[in-house]
Amino acid sequence: MNLSERFTDTNIPEHPEKATLEGKNKFVGFWLFLGGETVLFATLFGTYLGLRHMHGTGPTAKELFQLPTVFLATMILLTSSLTSVYAILAMKQNKIRAMQGWFFITLLLGLAFLGLEIYEFNEYVHEGHTFTKSAFSSSFYTLVGFHGGHVLFGCLWLISLLVRNWSRGLNLYNAPKYYLFALYWHFVDVVWVFIFTVVYLMGKVG
Amino acid sequence: MAEHHHTEVSKTELLQRKLEIKQERKQHTISFVMMILLTIIAFYAIWSDKVPNTFAVLFILVLAIVQVFFQLYIWMHLSHKGHEFPILGIATGILCAAVTVAGIAAMIWTT
Repeated sequence: MNLSERFTDTNIPEHPEKATLEGKNKFVGFWLFLGGETVLFATLFGTYLGLRHMHGTGPTAKELFQLPTVFLATMILLTSSLTSVYAILAMKQNKIRAMQGWFFITLLLGLAFLGLEIYEFNEYVHEGHTFTKSAFSSSFYTLVGFHGGHVLFGCLWLISLLVRNWSRGLNLYNAPKYYLFALYWHFVDVVWVFIFTVVYLMGKVG
Repeated sequence: MAEHHHTEVSKTELLQRKLEIKQERKQHTISFVMMILLTIIAFYAIWSDKVPNTFAVLFILVLAIVQVFFQLYIWMHLSHKGHEFPILGIATGILCAAVTVAGIAAMIWTT
């Protein structure tokens, strides 16, 4: 099968993302990259855990965090993880329109999450919780902001994927690309589960 | 066209795949509901103030770890065959991450 030849319902491979050598390499390479990303986030989590009580003259975590907003953001990101997995299921069935639709919903949810985060950070800054206020605030913004940066990057990645391949149909060339994006998006959600638990919920307990 | 014909999948295999995907979709939906539930439980444990703090922290950490397994094994398909290297890669990452978190946090705490 040619790389840019559209799949048909009867010739689509069972694992279109791993049907070529390039696809296989990308698949393994991306998982190794995610292993590295885990360590990268671990350094930020470790720093935050060490510094989270050093709030100086700034507000404490307990005074600051609004759990309902963060809870809503968590639900949004969790749902977007589900819609991206539905997109991959549609991809495996060669249902390109369904896949694009699910990815589009994923994108909207990702943007909604970013909007909530910007709103949240804005509130915090108004309460005196600026980046340079204390060791707590610096480590907080670095960790949570770095995750937000990942969401932003994911949204831009998804937009370019969808736009570039909009009328191309599914083929051996772009199937691995969609699959890797979904892996990345799940990973970003995994990191958020820990931010929700370690930063926000534990922040309320003290 | 000759090459095209070569890669054609049989009707029975297509039907089998369809059933597998249906099964997979069910699994994904179940794990989604589970994760929502775990998130709500963790949120409630802290928000209600009814659970003693030290226990609550351990409890929500365990819930987070359970959620990670749902994500990795079901949504990211680590449970499917052909995932030996990905498991090795991410497990190494998680191991290093655990050492990193403990190491960095401990260095700050003791100074």
